[in-house]
Amino acid sequence: MAQQPQHTKTKRYGMVIDLDKCTGCGACMVACYAENNVPFRQDDSDKMRSLNWIRVMKVDNGKAFPDTEVCYIPMPCMQCDGQHMQGHSPCVSVCPAVATDYDYPTGIVSQIYTRCFGCRYCMAACPYHARKFNWWDPKWPADMEKYLNPDVSARMRGVVEKCSFCYHRYQKARDKAYVEGRDELHEDEYQTACTQACPTNAITFGDLYNPEHAVHSLSRSKNAFRLLERLNTNPKVYYLSSKSWVRRVADNYLEGENPEQVAKARKAAATH
Amino acid sequence: MKIDRRCFLSLVIGGAVGTTLTPVPWKLTDDIAIWTQNWSWTPEPEDGPSKFVKSVCTQCSGGCGIIARTIGNRAIKIEGQPDHPVNNGSLCPKAISATQHLYGPSRIQGPMKRAGERGQGKWEKISWDEAISTVTEKLAELRTRGKPHSVACISDTDRNSVAYLLDRFLRAYGSPNFIRTPSSADAQELALYLSFGRQGTIGYDFKQSDFILSFGCALMDGCDAAGQMMSAFGDMDKKTRLVQIEARLSDTAAKASQWVAAKPGTETDLALGLGHVMVRDGLYDKAFIDSHGFAFEDREDEAGNAYPGYRSLVRDYSPEKVAKTTGLPEKTIESLARAFARARRPVAVTGFSNPAAASVNQALAVFALNALAGNFQKPGGVFVIDEPDYLSWTEMKIDKTASAGNQQARIDGAGTKRFAHTRYLPNRLPEAINSSQGDSPVQALLVAGGNPLYTLADPQSAKKAFEKIPFIVSFSTFMDETAEQADLLLPHPHFLECYQDVPTPAGMAKTVISLARPVVKPVYDTRHTGDVIIETAKNLGGFIENAFPWKNHEDFLKKTLSDQWETLEKQGYWTDDSSRDNSLEKLFRTSSQRFEFLPRAGFETQGSENPKSKVQTVSLPGDVNELPLVLVPYSTIRISGGAVANTPFMTKTVDANVIAQQDVFVEINPETASEYGLSQGDKATLKTPAGNAKVRVNLFEGIMPGLVAMPAGLGRTGFSDYIAGKGVNVYGLIAPAADPASGLNAAWGARAAIGKA
Amino acid sequence: MSTQSDNQTAAAGNRSSGWVVFVFFMIGLVASIISGWVAFPELLYSTKQQPIDFNHQVHLEQMGGQCNSCHFFREDGSFSGSPTLEECKSCHMYPMTGNENEQKFIDEYVNQDKEVPWLIYAEQPPCVFFSHAAHVKGADMQCATCHGDIGHSTSLREYQENRITGYSRDIWGKSMLRLGEPDHGGRHQKMNDCAECHLKETGSKGDCFQCHK
Repeated sequence: MAQQPQHTKTKRYGMVIDLDKCTGCGACMVACYAENNVPFRQDDSDKMRSLNWIRVMKVDNGKAFPDTEVCYIPMPCMQCDGQHMQGHSPCVSVCPAVATDYDYPTGIVSQIYTRCFGCRYCMAACPYHARKFNWWDPKWPADMEKYLNPDVSARMRGVVEKCSFCYHRYQKARDKAYVEGRDELHEDEYQTACTQACPTNAITFGDLYNPEHAVHSLSRSKNAFRLLERLNTNPKVYYLSSKSWVRRVADNYLEGENPEQVAKARKAAATH
Repeated sequence: MKIDRRCFLSLVIGGAVGTTLTPVPWKLTDDIAIWTQNWSWTPEPEDGPSKFVKSVCTQCSGGCGIIARTIGNRAIKIEGQPDHPVNNGSLCPKAISATQHLYGPSRIQGPMKRAGERGQGKWEKISWDEAISTVTEKLAELRTRGKPHSVACISDTDRNSVAYLLDRFLRAYGSPNFIRTPSSADAQELALYLSFGRQGTIGYDFKQSDFILSFGCALMDGCDAAGQMMSAFGDMDKKTRLVQIEARLSDTAAKASQWVAAKPGTETDLALGLGHVMVRDGLYDKAFIDSHGFAFEDREDEAGNAYPGYRSLVRDYSPEKVAKTTGLPEKTIESLARAFARARRPVAVTGFSNPAAASVNQALAVFALNALAGNFQKPGGVFVIDEPDYLSWTEMKIDKTASAGNQQARIDGAGTKRFAHTRYLPNRLPEAINSSQGDSPVQALLVAGGNPLYTLADPQSAKKAFEKIPFIVSFSTFMDETAEQADLLLPHPHFLECYQDVPTPAGMAKTVISLARPVVKPVYDTRHTGDVIIETAKNLGGFIENAFPWKNHEDFLKKTLSDQWETLEKQGYWTDDSSRDNSLEKLFRTSSQRFEFLPRAGFETQGSENPKSKVQTVSLPGDVNELPLVLVPYSTIRISGGAVANTPFMTKTVDANVIAQQDVFVEINPETASEYGLSQGDKATLKTPAGNAKVRVNLFEGIMPGLVAMPAGLGRTGFSDYIAGKGVNVYGLIAPAADPASGLNAAWGARAAIGKA
Repeated sequence: MSTQSDNQTAAAGNRSSGWVVFVFFMIGLVASIISGWVAFPELLYSTKQQPIDFNHQVHLEQMGGQCNSCHFFREDGSFSGSPTLEECKSCHMYPMTGNENEQKFIDEYVNQDKEVPWLIYAEQPPCVFFSHAAHVKGADMQCATCHGDIGHSTSLREYQENRITGYSRDIWGKSMLRLGEPDHGGRHQKMNDCAECHLKETGSKGDCFQCHK
């Protein structure tokens, strides 16, 4: 079970994505590109080299027409807590340059581009393909540099980048709170760009520790699960789906294994 | 004393030791480390106070409220406007990435005239004075020659202030040829006029309905009301049933509670089949039909001619028969009809798809289902929204030349005896020009909005027709496919740079007028099309000049919107519930003052002598043996099929099994694919009566065997290198086929063959 | 052994003697120390003059003795930094005094509608998010703690720019050894300086994202 924080000031920002509501429109991806100065290329169809902080994967139930079902799974950085909830996430533990670390006050895994020297160990370590490498210098043709957001620094060739849960929005929200003499942020003050852009409100974002935030109860609902849960990476991105086949594709289950039972067994093991 | 190598070495060693005792090595190491992190060519965007400007997106007719974040004179990001009545903060990817078009390489940066051959891409920069006087001279000359009616104007809307100004200009000048580019609104509007007797749009109260029956609508697949639809879907509670009728597992079908995979092109039959069950079992609103329905029962006119009613018509559409046509099990049809009829607030929806797929017949058949459910002007049902009347006009006088010109028949044949109720027939324009002997009936073409050389069915013949037009002016903001073939470019500013009114979008259940406002100062040397029209009118002088007493477009907007201007300026939109509040007594303006189940001009061919109504379906041309498959276009919200192409960001989101490098993938059922020896990723040749295309194959279980589906919106030549040259334009493979009743293009697909390349 | 020493003796005649070698060593040592301590700092930094010699003292008096009259927090919590032309213009549309700097400001910037390209002594690199709100409002720190008593200066210091990094000399500190407080009275402003102070004041150096973007 999750260790409760040592002092109440610690937050654990997380996301709950309702896959029943996700239409696969891609607004989250586009909003993320625009918010985070993600560059683009003339041909971005090589998805291994295309820069994305959140990708929407399409999966199907494998059944023949007309019993086919498809589901979209938006995948930002999972912001793993690591096995013992101590920030020992797969990427942080392998970075030789301390270019990525675990931000204890928020639980967000950072990526510092000026520090990164491009060894890509973190990419190999990340089981979710959340990290992308800048194979080329970014280019903004015509006057496109004018739309760049000053809150997020532009990256250079040779560094790794990934989703930051729009940490700059947290910074800005905190600044506002300081100026207004508050200590705490309201739930709606800090929302990621993808959450804000989701046209069907499939994405919910907030502090998983705060019972007043919607994610607190959503992440504990019976339809909630995480991707590759058995790796013990402890992601802070939860998914909701009413369909059991979706749950099945979310992890590498064996033939005949029941995802619900596995989850139950995991919970039982964790409480012992 | 001897100075030798040892001394030198000693000096160096001394220097080295000394240097370690200075800050030099430590400071240099530190500074060089920092230097390696500085990439001078990596942009450092300028910071400053953020402002948030409320406006509206005009990239399609959806009218979604936006908030643009600006820093100084830079537009940084587009976000949804949470309190906007249309989209409640929801936006499609195109709206969110609008800044890419604003600053992108697709923009036309100033007025230009053609320097080389048409389509060669050679342009010469000119001044606005020269540009406008070129237009004026050409128009004046045609008028002196007594041919004002040979001037045509193409626009993507007939409802906003620019369209009104253009139309007024043509009438003052003497041409009836204002043409609107095709959209799924065409069939909806005509069906609405025929069955309700009103000009306007249909609103669906999605948020309050508990059973939404969608006839192939691309609700979540990038229809022109994406923001509205996705906002409604987001708010839907899990008890609301959404049923999608479509042959392909689209994103809408994937999100629906039930996916009904009927064969494409059989939606009308299915609607009538559902009607059959409802009528047979008495599951309809008798009170509504008694008081407001017309032609439900068989009737006789004064002359004693007998006309069958809806009841007789649907008798032929038994579940057994419809099951055969649609490929659905009989019990699905039965249960669907009963579920629809028994829902508390059911609504049947049509339109919101590619223009051809929603024919007038389909719209009428679906309206009839709503009539059976008795859901007009009721929460959760269908609302009729009148055409906007916020643009108040001063009367104008026209001269003899103008009135003679206005009386000429329209070149596209709309409004003629054959297509009496159809307002615009853009797809017939190329044919009219190409089939004319001698000079083209269009001597000057003004393209203001819309991108006909991309959006018209059969763009090849449209291009051929354009070649015969001696003078083409494009007002496009972007170097689109039509601008590429123009003689003169008079670029209109981007929507984030100017004022533009946006009338009620289709689907809205109340009147909402929005105002797009300048978010940033114009980036390039552009001029509002409204301003150009007013200035041209002034240059032409006489009655035409007098018809335009406004300084410019903004002055016109302020004066005509008078009372609403302030609200629009402050809040960005203005709403009115009067259309929504129309009572059923006042709703119908047909000759019977009732809802017409079988408007004669709809289901039957106009002028037909046979009073026995029969639903005409459009059959696809081509030999079934030679072309055993059917190609259907599909829309996806990540690729824009309309006049304005998708942004590079949108292309970036497209999966690698839809576009890879230059190739488009067609979806095909694995079963069908194996028949033709095709496997995943194979290169293939797709053949239709209209042409051939090189494609790649994507196996997808979610598509009906026997079909080949291709995304719409690819195969562009215009805009920029980031957009052009990917895939093929699916509408180039589907030859238009006229709907016999309306003349509108109703070719929902094409017979096709596919083989390994 | 003897052969070897013989050789050495013989060689000594041909070679410079020990003290000459030592003198050369010392020359190298002293020269490098001098150049390292005196010439290097001069070479490392280029000196730039501010576009206008601004008198903080006068403005502070006129504006009610508060820094935040001109350097204020915006409603959204962001810090305004140097005043914009628009803000300056609210007083200096026309000359208020006979001051030559004011005249220059009006001629070259107000009349030409051009922002003043101030050189920011405490400018951080673009990868840094520095929260003024957290320090001034959250931790109740005084401006002078980091910036020195610039508010009571009557003239602007010259701006020194590191030729390699392009950063202001204030970030490293005037002293090459980083001893004591910087000359201007504020604080050193490199990352380690931030971490050191944070460790002292908050018990943690902080995580990367606290200040990086």
